[in-house]
Amino acid sequence: MSEATMTSSAAVKRVPEVAPPRPAEPTARRPLPLRAMAGVAVLLGLIALPLLAGGYWTFTLGLCFANAIAILSVSLLVRYGGEVSIGHGVFVAAGAYTVALMEKYLGVSVLMALPFAALAGGLLGIAFAFPSRNLSGIYLAVATMALALALPELLLYFSSITGGYEGLYVKRDALPGVSRDLQRYYVPLAGLVVVALLLRQFRRSRQALALLLIRTSAPAAESFGVRRSWARLSCMALSGGIAAIGGALLAFSSSTVSPNSFTLWTSIFLLVGSVVSLYSLGMFGSLIGGVFLTLMPLLLAGAGDWVPILYGGALLLVVLGANLIPESWRVRPGGGAA
Amino acid sequence: MADILGLIWAGMVSGCLYALGAIGIVLIYKSSNVVNFAHGNLAGLAAFLVFGFTAGILGNMAWGVALMLTLAIMMVVMAISYFVIAPLVFKSDLTSTIATLGIGLIAQGVTQLVFGSNVVSLDLPLPKWSAQIGAMRISAYDLAVLFVTAASVGLLYLLIERTRVGIAFRAVSANPFASRVCGLSLRRIHLFSFVVAGLLGLVAALLIVPTTFLSSTSVSSFMLQAFAAAVVGGFSSLPGAVVGGVFIGVLMNLLSFYVAAEFTNTYLLAVILLTLNVFPKGVLARRGGARV
Repeated sequence: MSEATMTSSAAVKRVPEVAPPRPAEPTARRPLPLRAMAGVAVLLGLIALPLLAGGYWTFTLGLCFANAIAILSVSLLVRYGGEVSIGHGVFVAAGAYTVALMEKYLGVSVLMALPFAALAGGLLGIAFAFPSRNLSGIYLAVATMALALALPELLLYFSSITGGYEGLYVKRDALPGVSRDLQRYYVPLAGLVVVALLLRQFRRSRQALALLLIRTSAPAAESFGVRRSWARLSCMALSGGIAAIGGALLAFSSSTVSPNSFTLWTSIFLLVGSVVSLYSLGMFGSLIGGVFLTLMPLLLAGAGDWVPILYGGALLLVVLGANLIPESWRVRPGGGAA
Repeated sequence: MADILGLIWAGMVSGCLYALGAIGIVLIYKSSNVVNFAHGNLAGLAAFLVFGFTAGILGNMAWGVALMLTLAIMMVVMAISYFVIAPLVFKSDLTSTIATLGIGLIAQGVTQLVFGSNVVSLDLPLPKWSAQIGAMRISAYDLAVLFVTAASVGLLYLLIERTRVGIAFRAVSANPFASRVCGLSLRRIHLFSFVVAGLLGLVAALLIVPTTFLSSTSVSSFMLQAFAAAVVGGFSSLPGAVVGGVFIGVLMNLLSFYVAAEFTNTYLLAVILLTLNVFPKGVLARRGGARV
């Protein structure tokens, strides 16, 4: 969030020690001691948590981590693509079904299937961004919405492969010799950390800069030789791939996939989670979204009908609240802080 | 071959309703650049209100009274939905579009909370008349749909072409900045388009109910058809929305009869993707392509 401000304040404190200020050090390269330490502390806490908490909590948190990855993919699309997708549940489903099908037919575990899941999600992302590559973002939103509504029909039709209403099971262990409860906790956690670190790396890449340039000014970007249609496709591919990784880990930690868990509402809720996390691309921001998304229905188990109202209210509150924050404080939609 | 006329006729009837839904979406998009994803849920809530007022859940009124009351409520609801997202409209299209999803979620939740998630049937007060012309079976319902659609579209046409607010609407959708310089209130035009869209959505939702059943999700999935119609017609063209609606209605009927009935949403997806590839700006744009 306020990454740049924290970076600069940390840097100011360090200045006396470094005698000649090195001129051309890129801002993003500076170490972030405070933030990194806090991050490592929370991470250690999460790693130690299964020693303290029971199986129920580790199971639920495993789902939170997987959901957080899916939320990261939505946030990536919003921040780098400036697009909104109402069909990300489909990319999550692509990952989940890839894992389940590869286990069923090839007998491989989730770790082997993960690259294929990511690939499937990425290709699917390209396939659905392609028709709207030269059009405004609403077309992508509508196309993904149609995709989300069509998915259950297709899954049910090909029920001999996809298991129909019942879905498929993901039973195979990823790490031999570790208890199943712990695997379902640690594998998604590791996935979340890896994805968050990769996104951090991505933020510093030329690719990310090009995408942000296109968001800011398409004509300027085109004059630098960066094409808008290419940006849409690459952003959707990346986002779809990450969503599929989230789906793969979701399938692993819930050990089952079924059409019921991938409806239009799944996709809309993913967007809600992304908004609640303020489109954060970091691990903890997305985790807040994931926890909100996973725990709220559990906490409100008796009041199922209140869940849409609550999610909708939270979405409006965050969106309107963020609008009230003064311009200078606000997180810029793309990249780091202003 | 004998069935085809009947299928086309039935498709045209339901297509009219998709057109009404699509016009609402296009009206809002043209004036404010917001894609209202809450449209279906709000229309569904309105249909449930009419059901509640007539079936004794919220009262036991005559049909006309219930309809008038719901129309009034719908105007208020649409005004409130606009004022909720109003602070965002000029800031970011993306954020305001996301906010409409929040409104949709709330409308959905309220519908479920008040009316439950059961499927109900809502009968319109129409005579049980029908006639057979060749393969076409024409019922009072069909004629009512055609008449109401024609009347709504005609009224909307007069409103947009002949009244001051209509001229202002056209000005704002053509060039918001210039209209503001000329002293038009953009907010008022946005509000106008939200309210009119809400009323059209209510009419469409009420008329679609007798063919399916009313459940808290049925109207919002009907809205996908409206979105597809809007895409086919080019997202910002009002005549396109009508053409797209009728096209979608007929096509869906033919496909579900001749191919398979369980794939409605998949067909719509295919239509949307195909249209975006072949006619990126809608079917009508190609025809008037000479105008630059």
